[in-house]
Amino acid sequence: MSAFEGQLAGWMTPARVAKSVDKSQTIAQLVAEYSTTLYRVAFSVTRNAAEAEDAVQETFLRVLKHESQLEEVRDYRVWLVRIVWNIVLDRKRRAKTRPENEDIADHARALPSKDRAADAAVISNEEQGRILALVDKLPRREREALLLSAVQELTTGEIAAMLGTTESSIRSRIFRARREMAVLLEKEGIQR
Amino acid sequence: MTSERNEEMEKVDAVLRAIGGAVPDPEMEGRILHRLAAARTSADAGTARLVPGRRVPRFVGPLAGFASAGLMCGVIVVGSVRHSHEHRAGEPPAPPVLQIQRGGVGAASAVRPADPGTAAPLPASPAARGRATHRTAQRGRARIPRQTKKAPGVTVPVPARAGSPQQ
Repeated sequence: MSAFEGQLAGWMTPARVAKSVDKSQTIAQLVAEYSTTLYRVAFSVTRNAAEAEDAVQETFLRVLKHESQLEEVRDYRVWLVRIVWNIVLDRKRRAKTRPENEDIADHARALPSKDRAADAAVISNEEQGRILALVDKLPRREREALLLSAVQELTTGEIAAMLGTTESSIRSRIFRARREMAVLLEKEGIQR
Repeated sequence: MTSERNEEMEKVDAVLRAIGGAVPDPEMEGRILHRLAAARTSADAGTARLVPGRRVPRFVGPLAGFASAGLMCGVIVVGSVRHSHEHRAGEPPAPPVLQIQRGGVGAASAVRPADPGTAAPLPASPAARGRATHRTAQRGRARIPRQTKKAPGVTVPVPARAGSPQQ
C-alpha cells in the first residue's frame, strides 16, 4: 500500500462511517419528533400547506448540510424552530406580499376533527380570513410572538429563546398583541 | 360591549388554535426522509473514488485543479521566454512579405499599380537612419584632434570675446 493510499484509509476510518450512520439515524429521529411542530410554525406564517411542508423539508436539508454540528446543539426543538422560522420569514420577505394562494380550506382541515367542529360553530372561513388579515396588521414583534404562542408545542420560554429575548418580554408582547387585536376588531366591526 | 369583545377575542383564539394546531399531511414525514436520502446520495456521488470502496475528501478535487492550472502557467511562461530568446540581438527581424495586388480593388493599386520587379520595402538598418545608435564621445562632446583641418569653404564661427556684446 502506498503512502497516499494509507492516508486515504486513515481518512475513512470505520469509526467515521459508523458516526455517519448514527447521524442519519439522529436526523430521522428529529424528523419523526419535530416535523409536526415545524410544520405548524411554518404554517402560522405561510398559511399554505404546500409551502409549509416545503419549508420543513428545507429545514431538514439544512440540518443534513450541518450535521457535523448536531452534537453541539443543546435544544433541538428551539434550534429547529429557529431554522424553519428564518426560512419562512426569508421566503415571505422575498415574496414581499402575502401570497395570493392563501388557502382558507387549509385552516378548515388544520384542526383535529373534534376541535374543528367546535370552532366551526364559532367562526366561519370568511371570518378566519378577516382575522388573519388583522393579525398581519400588528407590529412585527407582537405578531411574531402571537403566532408562535399559538403553536401548541412551544412554551413561552422556548419562544423567548428562539427570538433571543426574555419570557417576560414575550408575555408583554402577546398581551399587547391581543389588546391591539381587540382594538382592530372593534374598528372593523366583525360580526358573527 | 364586554360580551361582544369577549366573543371577538374568542374568534381570534379559535383562528390561532387552527393555525397552531395545523395537522400536516400524514405522508409528509416519508417525503422528508425520501428527500433527505436523495440529497445524501447526490452529495456522496459528488465525491470521486480513487481507491475502490474508499471516498476521497472533497478538497482533493480543487487541489488537483489548482496544481494543474499552476503547471500550465509555468509551461506557458517558460515557452514564451524560450521563444523570445531565439531572436539574435542586433539582427532585425525578417520583413513580412508584401503581397502586391494587381487586380485588386484598393484605391492605391488602382491609381498606381506596382511594377512587377518592385521588391517589398525593407526596414532601414540602424546605421542608415542618420542617428547614432551608440555614443562615441566619452563625456558628451566630440574630441577633435589638433591636426584636423576643415574642408575648404566651411565657415568657422568666431568665439565671442570678453566685453563684446553677446549676440
